[in-house]
Amino acid sequence: MTDLMISLRRSPRTLLERDGHPGPGPGKLGLVMARAGVGKTAVLTGIGVDAMLSGQKVLHVSIERTIDKIREWYDEKLVEMLKHNKKLDHLGPLQLTMERNRHIHTFVGQSFSLERIRHTLDLLRDAMEFVPAVIILDRTEYTELNPDSIAELKAMAAEIGAEIWMACRTHRDGPPAAPGHLPPPADTFEGEVDVAFSLVPQDAKVRLHVIKDQDEMVDKDLNILLDPQTLLLVTGVAAKK
Amino acid sequence: MSSDIQKIRNIGISAHIDSGKTTLTERILFYTQRIHAIHDVKGKDGVGATMDHMELERERGITITSAATHVEWSDHHINIIDTPGHVDFTIEVERSLQVLDGAVLVLCAVAGVQSQSITVDRQMKRYKVPRIAFVNKCDRSGANPQRVTRALCDKLGHNAVLLQLPIGLEANFEGVVDLVEMRAIYFRGDNGEQIEYGEIPAELQAEAEERHAELLDAASMFSDELMEAALEERATPELIREAVRAGVLSLELTPVFIGSAYKNKGVQPMMDAVTHYLPNPTDVPIEAIDLDQDGAAVELQPDPEGQTVAYAFKLDEGRYGQLTFLRVYQGTMRKGDTVIQTRTRKKIKIGRLVRMHADKMEDIEAAVAGDIVGIFGIDCHTGDTFAAAGPRINMTSMYVPDPVISLSVHPVDSKAQDNMSKALSRFTKEDPTFRVKLDAESNETIISGMGELHLDVYVERMKREYAAEVETGAPQVAYREAISRRSDFDYLHKKQTGGSGQYAKVVGYIEPSTDGEYEFVDEIRGGRIPTEYIPACDKGFRASLDKGALIGFPVVGVRAVLTDGNSHAVDSSDMAFMTASRMAFREAYKKAKPRILEPVMRVSVEGPGEFQGTIYKSLMQRRGTVLGSTEDAGFARVDADVPLAEMFGYSTDLRSGTQGKAEFTMEFSKYAPAPREVSEELLKKYRSNVSDEEDA
Repeated sequence: MTDLMISLRRSPRTLLERDGHPGPGPGKLGLVMARAGVGKTAVLTGIGVDAMLSGQKVLHVSIERTIDKIREWYDEKLVEMLKHNKKLDHLGPLQLTMERNRHIHTFVGQSFSLERIRHTLDLLRDAMEFVPAVIILDRTEYTELNPDSIAELKAMAAEIGAEIWMACRTHRDGPPAAPGHLPPPADTFEGEVDVAFSLVPQDAKVRLHVIKDQDEMVDKDLNILLDPQTLLLVTGVAAKK
Repeated sequence: MSSDIQKIRNIGISAHIDSGKTTLTERILFYTQRIHAIHDVKGKDGVGATMDHMELERERGITITSAATHVEWSDHHINIIDTPGHVDFTIEVERSLQVLDGAVLVLCAVAGVQSQSITVDRQMKRYKVPRIAFVNKCDRSGANPQRVTRALCDKLGHNAVLLQLPIGLEANFEGVVDLVEMRAIYFRGDNGEQIEYGEIPAELQAEAEERHAELLDAASMFSDELMEAALEERATPELIREAVRAGVLSLELTPVFIGSAYKNKGVQPMMDAVTHYLPNPTDVPIEAIDLDQDGAAVELQPDPEGQTVAYAFKLDEGRYGQLTFLRVYQGTMRKGDTVIQTRTRKKIKIGRLVRMHADKMEDIEAAVAGDIVGIFGIDCHTGDTFAAAGPRINMTSMYVPDPVISLSVHPVDSKAQDNMSKALSRFTKEDPTFRVKLDAESNETIISGMGELHLDVYVERMKREYAAEVETGAPQVAYREAISRRSDFDYLHKKQTGGSGQYAKVVGYIEPSTDGEYEFVDEIRGGRIPTEYIPACDKGFRASLDKGALIGFPVVGVRAVLTDGNSHAVDSSDMAFMTASRMAFREAYKKAKPRILEPVMRVSVEGPGEFQGTIYKSLMQRRGTVLGSTEDAGFARVDADVPLAEMFGYSTDLRSGTQGKAEFTMEFSKYAPAPREVSEELLKKYRSNVSDEEDA
């Protein structure tokens, strides 16, 4: 991993770095919560780029989206990070590194199932020797994941040493979170959630709350701001300190 | 010909091979009374479909070159460009898209959105072509237009909405429910030419109402008037059509029509849809450049009274000489007019102006802005602009990819040699992606193009159309060389031993350019090299790029900067500075860490899900970078970037590995550095060839 790659990291995932591990760790589930349209997918893509900049392999699973669209988001995110650091001339080689360390798998026509995810992981390992360290599950609101299937998913990820990131859409007019719990609908499977962020639009920025970390409810406003265009930390790695 | 431009439609029909687009075009020609009998592709009657007008196309059952035809429907004038289905002929598709205002995307009701549709759709997006979809072959077993409509959304990212429902499917496919007018349409008579309207069948009433509501929801996003009317339950078919049209023109809505061209069902409503929803020439902005104003952008107006501007998008060798297909963008082109060919500044007189119907033609007197016509008797290339006296207008040129594969061709005798020359001269004028060069060292004629099939077709055409019997060498990949870091040079070229001498000194550096193009920068201050010798330095560097020192392929992406130098009052000359620059480049090149670039193709493989692992492996074995995969109802698609050098024979291997059930398409993606072991192999081979030649 080069110094350049480290210097580019600006995803909220960098806030979780501890004991030399770049994310929450194998078998753990990270959750990004927000209302529709705030930027959950953008945060998930940023987490994917962050993992690759940390030298990890990423499996990005999406529902009803095209591969081209998802690649475009990753490329945009990388361009933004390079522009921010005035290193745009490194785009070509870094794009290539990203492509070699990322696999996008999309399910269309209601073909998503846990069994298919397991099948995909097996195929990637056997046919391509591709074993992801981070699995991103985008648009899970279009699936029928429940607490049991989420537990199964975590077990599946733990077997290969991968962490999972998912998004969860909260509702503006929905009931508020009960004290000490995640807001609905995440409260139904909160026992499985190891890390949870929520995104709250505020003026021209998006405010990031850490709601759960290391299995503990935190619910602290650490005064962390995200750029509303990119959903990356406004001031990069320095912002977390 | 009506002068009402708003009633002109210039459309393309694009699809995956075997989706039935040629059959569909044939039916359109029949219903618009351009032909009086229906022929099939690979016709049993030995006639073949009218739009597949070349012998080779008829034999292979595929459409290789675009043919234009003009039809009239519901008081509208429709120019149809039939476009090729194989991706090796991408330039044909690109050429069509340049002159089209809209397109019909034909999809198979059984196979759905296939790999070629994805490639063609990507190209249409690039040219911002509004489109409607026609789900064909609804009479086939397994037909499911609803699933295809979902696939349009899921696989192509369209906002697709059904405007019709099928009445029956497969063998029971009888007609369609029109969700705008809310009525049934049946196609009676021997050839489906009698349209019969009726009540929606009772068993479809509930579904039709539900789909009608969905259509209103989707369309009202593009019309406040429709939204209000829908809320008050007074939406009219006119309001719905206006809203759908607005959605199509903004590229944000794709209405879906259904039918079976082969069974003569659904074609006429699709033609109505072309007139209702696809743009007319006034809906599309026309960008051009004014060469008199240093290439400043100008917007043309489709005004029949304006300065005439027309664009040659296709050449064809007919029995009366070269036929040039033109789109008139502005003004009116009349028989007997004189126009100026912008590139050559030559005056051209329009002798014969024709409207094309596949391989038949009709003489006309004039063509107005927006129309597509053919003219005879002019010598030009594809992409040339013709304009009446006035500003020197040039249409912006189409995207032309560089060839990625080459073949040597040897005529078998002197007669074949003459015929081959004629054929090659013709093909290079017709097709900008087909190039010819004479290799100075081997004295071989080298043809280059976009893929194996592309070159194969031209070799066949040489034999059939020009009686040029040729033998071909093995296909060669078009590698490139590029430098990877800055390297300084300081070179003195000095020969002053008796007689007129040579003296030139150049100092500067070469470095990788940011855009991959060659760039020459003169930073000489104080006249250290006299201004008259600077172009010779540029020429010297440029000449060095033709053949790189690594494996003899062209060098790309060099920025040559001249910072200093010296000259001699008597012995300096253009020749001396050219030589000095060439030698300086040779020296600097070695130190600039040159590397070999190889063409990489974007490959999409599609097949039953059980072969997904086989597909992954097949791509990995060919040094592919798998970009992603898609699962859809038991089928899988895998997208990858694969070096062209590894793709020879892939078709056979894929077929055998998947029991013939998977297929693939590929198009050029980029040039990328070749890995070390590949580079070493190429270097070894090149050195061995060079030493063999030296020994000989």
